[in-house]
Amino acid sequence: MALVRASQTIRPPQEAAAQDLPAVLADLASPDASVRRAAARSLAAHPEGAMAACDQLEKETSPSVRAVLFTTLIHLQTPKVAERLSALLRSDDTPLRNAAIEALQEMPEAAASVLQSLLKDENSDVRIFAVNIIGALRHPQAPEWLGRVIRTDEHINVCAAAVDGLAEIGGTESLDDLEELRRRFKDNAFMNFAIDAAISRIRGL
Amino acid sequence: MEFSSTAAAKKTDSVMGDGEYAKFCEFFYRKTGIHFQEGKKYYVERRIIDRIEKTRSTSFRDYFTMLRFQASGEELQFLVNSMTVNETYFFREDYQFDALVNHILPNVARTKQRGAPIRIWSIPCSSGEEPYSIAINILERWNLADSWNIEIHASDIDTKILAEARSGIFGERSLSRVSSQLRSKYFSPRANGDYQICDALRDSIDFSLVNVVDPMQTRRFRDFDIIFCRNLLIYFDDVGRRETVEMFFDVLGAGGFVCLGHSESMSRMSSIFLPRKFGETIVYQKPLSAE
Repeated sequence: MALVRASQTIRPPQEAAAQDLPAVLADLASPDASVRRAAARSLAAHPEGAMAACDQLEKETSPSVRAVLFTTLIHLQTPKVAERLSALLRSDDTPLRNAAIEALQEMPEAAASVLQSLLKDENSDVRIFAVNIIGALRHPQAPEWLGRVIRTDEHINVCAAAVDGLAEIGGTESLDDLEELRRRFKDNAFMNFAIDAAISRIRGL
Repeated sequence: MEFSSTAAAKKTDSVMGDGEYAKFCEFFYRKTGIHFQEGKKYYVERRIIDRIEKTRSTSFRDYFTMLRFQASGEELQFLVNSMTVNETYFFREDYQFDALVNHILPNVARTKQRGAPIRIWSIPCSSGEEPYSIAINILERWNLADSWNIEIHASDIDTKILAEARSGIFGERSLSRVSSQLRSKYFSPRANGDYQICDALRDSIDFSLVNVVDPMQTRRFRDFDIIFCRNLLIYFDDVGRRETVEMFFDVLGAGGFVCLGHSESMSRMSSIFLPRKFGETIVYQKPLSAE
């Protein structure tokens, strides 16, 4: 036995017709996860199926199908998709929530509007998630949004998350806002430490 | 900027503006998954200038039009061949081969149905050093090798490098880590100082042209046990990496393993595989109960 030539066991590539949307949606309801996974991948060719992918995400239990659904939604990204994904930030399912955060980070333009809304959310946890997303978002206005957070948000943890973000993506234009934040939380040792660290990084010290 | 002769091309510093470069990168990414950043413009442009000359195109625009609309896709393949990096050598990152024979294969053998082949995929295989290294390690170091049928598949997007892999001829630099004992067992010296791998090994490996971002080309690979995909994903962007590892999930049977390059970490791409530490390396396993 040992090494054997394999060419007899692998089928040659075959042209397969692209599935139409109703067929893909039917497969998405299959009890077989591998069929659902293939359907989730096929949905990337159907922008009109984006909301169906969002619906499936809310009830899907298989981690591998979920992963493909998120990748498909990154491909199909629109403000509406970003809005649907942002609703998952309130989920108690941590892996689902984290995957939504990662997906939103991959759609800077589509997510810009919904992220602005999330920064005003009454739930501070949601605002922290929004700040975390913005901190890793490839969007030219991201530092400005975080600057606005440290100027206006009253919750110390939200501001601390924004300081962490500015340490990564902030520029010298953030320095005044950081010093002002220090005055707002002057008695908080952790905030002072975080601001010092952010300023050092921004100045390249 | 346009130019009309080969001589002009050689003198020209840049044949494409930033907008054209961005457009080209987007096209190349869509076709291959390979993502070039702004800092790579010089590298990319040198190769494009070379292809403009070889195809006697009159300008970047002329060349790019041909590249996009050529029905045969032949020029795209030439360009891919020139853009890919194929530097490698035998037993590179050999701690992964230690993990293969000491941990991964024994794991696979424990759960694999008797009589079914063990399937290994080396992608990208470049000029063949990796799949041949896998074969030699298995034959030399896995004591159950003779009890199983083992298939080694090796794929690359570059037709020229695949032809080199199939030929099985290697220079001294490629073989620097191969002992004289293994050289005499699996290679024969050629008059010019190169070495030819033995027919038995060459014939046991199934080489194929595969573009990992083309689902049509990867869907035929199923029920694999081990994938070696080292130093490819570093050229992809985040979405390309996600898609590729999700494709690997479909390629592998339950409990199958993925081996990535030393600078690549699955945790930054996907959470659907389980990290397993074997010896000095971490590999990634599709859960046995994977849905």
